[in-house]
Amino acid sequence: MRAALKLGGLILIGAGLGLVSALAMLNQGMNIGKETVQGWVGSHVSGDKSADPYTRALVARAGLLALTQAETLYFNRTTDEAGKPLRADCTYQLEGGAQPARWWSVTIYAADNYLPVNGDDAQSADATRVAALAKPDDKGRWTVQVSPQKGEATHWISSKNAGNFALTLRLYNPQDGAREDFNSIAFPTLKTVSCPSVPA
Amino acid sequence: MKPLIKSLVIVVVTAVVVHLAVILSAPNLLMAVAFKRLSAEGKMVNQMIYPPRTTEASRAIVRPSPDLAYSSCAYDLSKGPVRVKAARASDYMSVSVYAANSDNIFAINDRQAPEGVDLVIVGKGQVAPAGTAIVVQSPTQRGIVLERRLAPSAEAFASAELARKEGVCMPL
Repeated sequence: MRAALKLGGLILIGAGLGLVSALAMLNQGMNIGKETVQGWVGSHVSGDKSADPYTRALVARAGLLALTQAETLYFNRTTDEAGKPLRADCTYQLEGGAQPARWWSVTIYAADNYLPVNGDDAQSADATRVAALAKPDDKGRWTVQVSPQKGEATHWISSKNAGNFALTLRLYNPQDGAREDFNSIAFPTLKTVSCPSVPA
Repeated sequence: MKPLIKSLVIVVVTAVVVHLAVILSAPNLLMAVAFKRLSAEGKMVNQMIYPPRTTEASRAIVRPSPDLAYSSCAYDLSKGPVRVKAARASDYMSVSVYAANSDNIFAINDRQAPEGVDLVIVGKGQVAPAGTAIVVQSPTQRGIVLERRLAPSAEAFASAELARKEGVCMPL
């Protein structure tokens, strides 16, 4: 009787550890993939049938119904230029040029993988609106502000109520070179403009 | 010392088995949840549904893009193949098919299908009618079709709305 109880207890402990470690794995899905270029994390295997079980589980958790590489490249970033987590109360400037794709967008997601709830209706920048709103200079450069308040920005993404958020770059119908070598992509750069010293 | 090692082995083996079981079953479980959500709890199967423009209130699928107009069809091949059609698009549009294990088994975009998409999804042992241009073999009986249309503004969404309503998802 005691032996059976002990066995049951051990199995329970083991099951608990297995469950907790698996869920911890899944909840780290903000940074799917294995290759980081200029702060943007991408994967050559996301959405692919050949992906390993961990990647498959992570993609299902944080990118269910995502497209394959031929159709779209997804990149995620959760840190600033110094490697610190992105914060809702800071002001950042995202600057970039033409992207190697037919169409692109940058979207903000809160830690729960959904759009932040703030009533601002400013969750993304994309190739079409950047061309119209952000007044790219002659070289096609554009800037988008990521901050909790719009301020003087012409084009912004609202980070209000987003907590430690993520930015996702989507490249639709990417050029072959971009797909084969992430290092060839001129990613948008992120700069911290201001940050309250004490996190709100 | 020996009983302690035996206990440790039991804990570790159980932990590894449970850990792997959760990781391996996650795609199927999460797809099952998505299937329920995109079929109104199973009431709207084998038909296109057209959610409103993505907003901060959208919670059906993780990481929705606010710049796309999505349409979806939760398919069930238990009574035979399912036909899917999508009207032509003047800008980016794609139709992709996902099996119940979350695999993206098929994708096509407007450049590959300038006249629009017309395909038939068949399950194991099923045959599409002769002359079907695109046949998608689904390894699972159930799955999800997702159509994306570029719609970064209210005006673009309005025109995508007209186009997506011409779409079809129905049993053959």
